[in-house]
Amino acid sequence: MKSTWNRREFLQKTSAATMAALAASAPMASLLSGCKTKKIGQTDGTADTVILLWMAGGMAHTETFDPKRYTPFETGMEGNRVLSTFKSAPTVLDGIHFSEGLQSIGKVMDKGTLIRSYVSADLGFILHSRHQYHWHTCYEPPQTVAAPHIGSWIAKELGPKNPVIPAFIDIGQRFTVGEAEELKAFHTAGFLGNEFGPFFIPDPSQGLESVRPPVGMNSSRFERRNQLYNDLVSNSPIGEFGSDYQKESLKRSMEQAYMLLNSPEAKVFDLSTEPKESYDIYNTGKFGLGCLLARRLTEQGARFISVTTEYEPFKGFDTHENGHTRMVDMKKLIDGPVAQLVADLDKTGHLDRTMIILASEFSRDMMVEGRPGEKVKEQVNQPDILSDMKFYGMHRHFTDGASVLMFGGGIKRGFVYGKTADERPCKSIENPVKIDGIHQTIYHALGIAPDTQYEIEKRPFYTTPDGKGKAVMDLLS
Amino acid sequence: MTVLTESFWLWQFLGRLHPLIVHFPVGLLCVALLLEIIGWSRKSNDMRAGITALVWIGAISSVIAAAFGLILINQEEYGGQTVTVHQWSGLATMALALITVFALRSGRQALYRTLLFLTVFGVTIAGHYGALLTHGEDYLTSVLPFGSEKESPSAPNPNLAFISTTNQPLNPKQIEDLNLEVRSILAHNCYSCHSATKTKGELRLDKKELLFKGGENGPILKAGHPEDSDMIRRVKLPAGHDDAMPTKGKRLTEKEIAVLEFWIKQGAPWPSGAEKSIYRVAALEPRLPAIPAATGDLTNPIDRFVNVYFQKNKIAWKTVVNDHTYIRRVYLDVIGLLPTPEQIQAFTADPRPNKREILVTELLNRNEDYAQHWLTFWNDALRNDYSGTGYITKGRFDITKWLYASLKNNKPYNQFVRELVSPTEESAGFIKGIKWRGTINSSQSTEMQAAQNVAQVLLGLNLKCASCHDSFISDWKLADSYAFANVFSDTTLEIHRCDKPTGKMAGRRILFKELGTINGEAPTPERLRQLAEFMVQPKDGRLYRTLVNRIWAQLLGRGLVEPVDMMDNEPWSQDLLDWLASDFTANGYNIKRLMTTILTSKTYQLPSISVKDPALLTAPTYVFEGMVRRRLSAEQFADAVSIVFNPVYGDTSLATKLLPETIKQEIPFPRASLVKNDPFLTALGRPNRETVSTSRTSQANLLQALELTNGAKFNTALKNGAIIWKAKYPTSDLIVKELYRKALGREPQPKELAVAEKIVGKKPSIEGIQDLVWAISLHPEFQLIN
Repeated sequence: MKSTWNRREFLQKTSAATMAALAASAPMASLLSGCKTKKIGQTDGTADTVILLWMAGGMAHTETFDPKRYTPFETGMEGNRVLSTFKSAPTVLDGIHFSEGLQSIGKVMDKGTLIRSYVSADLGFILHSRHQYHWHTCYEPPQTVAAPHIGSWIAKELGPKNPVIPAFIDIGQRFTVGEAEELKAFHTAGFLGNEFGPFFIPDPSQGLESVRPPVGMNSSRFERRNQLYNDLVSNSPIGEFGSDYQKESLKRSMEQAYMLLNSPEAKVFDLSTEPKESYDIYNTGKFGLGCLLARRLTEQGARFISVTTEYEPFKGFDTHENGHTRMVDMKKLIDGPVAQLVADLDKTGHLDRTMIILASEFSRDMMVEGRPGEKVKEQVNQPDILSDMKFYGMHRHFTDGASVLMFGGGIKRGFVYGKTADERPCKSIENPVKIDGIHQTIYHALGIAPDTQYEIEKRPFYTTPDGKGKAVMDLLS
Repeated sequence: MTVLTESFWLWQFLGRLHPLIVHFPVGLLCVALLLEIIGWSRKSNDMRAGITALVWIGAISSVIAAAFGLILINQEEYGGQTVTVHQWSGLATMALALITVFALRSGRQALYRTLLFLTVFGVTIAGHYGALLTHGEDYLTSVLPFGSEKESPSAPNPNLAFISTTNQPLNPKQIEDLNLEVRSILAHNCYSCHSATKTKGELRLDKKELLFKGGENGPILKAGHPEDSDMIRRVKLPAGHDDAMPTKGKRLTEKEIAVLEFWIKQGAPWPSGAEKSIYRVAALEPRLPAIPAATGDLTNPIDRFVNVYFQKNKIAWKTVVNDHTYIRRVYLDVIGLLPTPEQIQAFTADPRPNKREILVTELLNRNEDYAQHWLTFWNDALRNDYSGTGYITKGRFDITKWLYASLKNNKPYNQFVRELVSPTEESAGFIKGIKWRGTINSSQSTEMQAAQNVAQVLLGLNLKCASCHDSFISDWKLADSYAFANVFSDTTLEIHRCDKPTGKMAGRRILFKELGTINGEAPTPERLRQLAEFMVQPKDGRLYRTLVNRIWAQLLGRGLVEPVDMMDNEPWSQDLLDWLASDFTANGYNIKRLMTTILTSKTYQLPSISVKDPALLTAPTYVFEGMVRRRLSAEQFADAVSIVFNPVYGDTSLATKLLPETIKQEIPFPRASLVKNDPFLTALGRPNRETVSTSRTSQANLLQALELTNGAKFNTALKNGAIIWKAKYPTSDLIVKELYRKALGREPQPKELAVAEKIVGKKPSIEGIQDLVWAISLHPEFQLIN
């Protein structure tokens, strides 16, 4: 219910009459009435969809998008000499090199922005799950109330883009792995309510399973079952149940579920319908197929999708030994699909209104753990002299510098922001960006007002802590 | 926008001239266009010289205005889209005005007229956005007589009726009420920037002497003279003005401003001595109201209190629900299970007049079933989960065995609280909280967690705000929270404000000093023992009101006080709440006895109430008329399917390590309350037990429906059940009837039978059975506790 008119609406509603009387000029009136109602500080937005590509486990910037001096492995070498374990290769941007193995992404950098100065929070112990919680909710754990995932905020504020596609889809993370409870702690809508929680697709190749009738049920049986349900409900003596919110919400939800499971859109979850050439480019593993599913969902009108390389302690990017060798595999996993996702969405024009963010909870280094000078207990013992190839790699957690890629949805094309030092510690030395800046940039691009908040237990809880996050306007075109 | 760090006064001055100067181009150019139109329509050239002058002066003044505007934007903190639009449309207008002048000089009349028209259009746009910045969005519309229902003011405070009417000197009572109202306005609108936590402009409004002292600009009010009081001037300024207050958040209402003006006019009275709280504070001590007289068949004390309430609210007693509804309700509420068709049959046929009382007693005596059901509620409240987390390795201790035994033995509640607060090894998990690895906000230390959780769960009191800074929602201060947390601490805690150390060390105090004085020097276990003893005294009415209200809310769907964790809020019947708590204290702190009183009352047996919008339940306008219809909890639903059809969980799902060793002999089947959380239970509403959770939402949503429609867990259970049922029952007719009896406690009606048989098939198929069970289990009649 609208209680007051604001100035703009007033002008909209009265402009025709007023202007006609004042200046006898009709065209002016029709020009003015195009204004929309928005809060001050709120934009119409430059994006409708967000894809988060999550490099779970701490991706070293010096081994990926911000390579430093390369030192090849020799038995008995000093670890301190090693800044990068890969050669670097040029990208499409002048003077910008990526670590070898990411050439495909290098080729699409003219379509997006490379941030080289992300700084993770200092949470004492550097722990994946706590930093992941912080990245995804913008709040440092623990909190006295359950903090919502950024996807849930977006789902709550904007709702689904296509009504049959869940607003928040989370691809690739299983909760049967180590630290599952910590992962659950931030994969939630928190106090916003389950309705805005993630729709999980742990395995993208099985995506269809999540949105089709249960295994072993063909569509005619599914149809019949639904019909039966409706018939039973309408034929039962439920007059006494009247209409109340539980019953209504149950009915509505069942209809939505039926719609989704039965809709033509559900076909996008079926990756087997993707042309083979395209499928093969994406098929580097679960993550690659997740990117493919994200692309297909975006084309059908998804709102927020997260695709993860999947966090599992000591797996994936969480390299605590054999860092170099494992990094080769991780690059193979991400390079092709990420580049293809950007290129595909650009080709179809979807990139204009879709923001892609590639990020990780923190970076890594070979020697420095955490903040320079403050070694954290209980971490791997990295020897000063590398006697074995298994010690060659970035095995320690590093929070003072990291890389983030952003594409589309209003993000500048072919732009590089920030810088890290060329010598150890390779920390951010220019334009540091923190998590509330990243979040607010996303909200800004989506047109979500900066002071969006809800009162929970009488405490105002904002999208960014105290509503103080500032969009990094330099990133936006 | 860049903000110059050191602002030179002249720039500031010129910048602020912008809003004045802009009126030249606005006025002159508009008039120029108007005259041009008049001249054009009259086909006359009389006014040419004047128009030319107007256009010239207008264009020049637009350049000056734009220049000043650019200065202003760099001087003051402007931001956002509006200012950007204003800036660029303003600059564009200036450019247009200049081109217009050139077109005029070169004598191209058609071009000049078009340009003048466009310039005025630009002026309108730029002016509109400029006005938005200066006056705010609703400046114009707020005075319109139509379409603007004012924000509905809260019910007028009858104590303040004198404000508009009196010319007489106020009496002391009126002065106190007025002052209370003023402080309340200040607290809600100003404290967040002008109190102990944040003191902008060196001004504090939360203390008498500090308010009168004023801030960096001197006094903010002149007693007796609201018109000369800076405070009034500022709250009346339009939003966006540099001096306007509050700078963010909503503006004061006219009524609030009127109260402040009246107060200053009266000489800004502020009585010395103890100040009455501006927040509603519930009484701590117990109170035993007399039970109203019994009338007719209303003998249960609850009914007698409710009767008075009904009379006051003009509500008629409805007929109590039938046996069938009652038995289902009471089974689900006491033991969380559905009654079997045989139990329903026997109960309905039972001729004894007191059979409902007998049933309640029987159910409450099913100690294991009762414990297995209520475990869910207490696990949520005490955030006791069956799995720990890695960043809290060895930082979380479960209390499951203790909790299960306590519920099974119906441990007196005072003892229950005693053991939570001053724990044995088995019950220590609650106050030990969750120990996080790494640096955490000081408001989340384990000691502060203990303080917050003891306050929230046991005392219905929110200490979370006050563990970071003095609360804006209650009188609790940072020092109170720290003193309470310090009781749980082996070392003395240093007070941190908003996570910054203050250098002050915390005292050691119980929140309500009336309850006793804790020996701050004693070792922790002794302090906790003292705290526990103080807390469970009968005179701690708050502890027992909180508990009876929680039980009431569980059984009736809505508490006497809502939210159940905010016991300072007003109950819908103070007498009933007070009586229940006193009766509970006087009769052995016996939760089952309390439940018996409620479950056998006519009040509980009233037909359930349906609510269209859940927000109405917590609205201050709520009027009690009977139990609020609820939805089965995740655990009740899973158990109901298990009992009606086929177990959802197997033995392997049980959290055996944490449960008592004898658990397998005590369960009818693996009950959902005893298994680890999974996506199925999460979707249906079981919380992640990382924070205290004392109520669950019973609204359905899409994710839930998807989990139920195609989730593996549920569908597998149904499929396995269908195989067994097919072997057991040879005909469709039998299956449908048996299912209706077991699930809904009734026979299917002929129409239902026909629909159902169609799906099961003449010869029952496994798929048919599975689909029928699915449809029934999602049926509102099955899902709701009516």
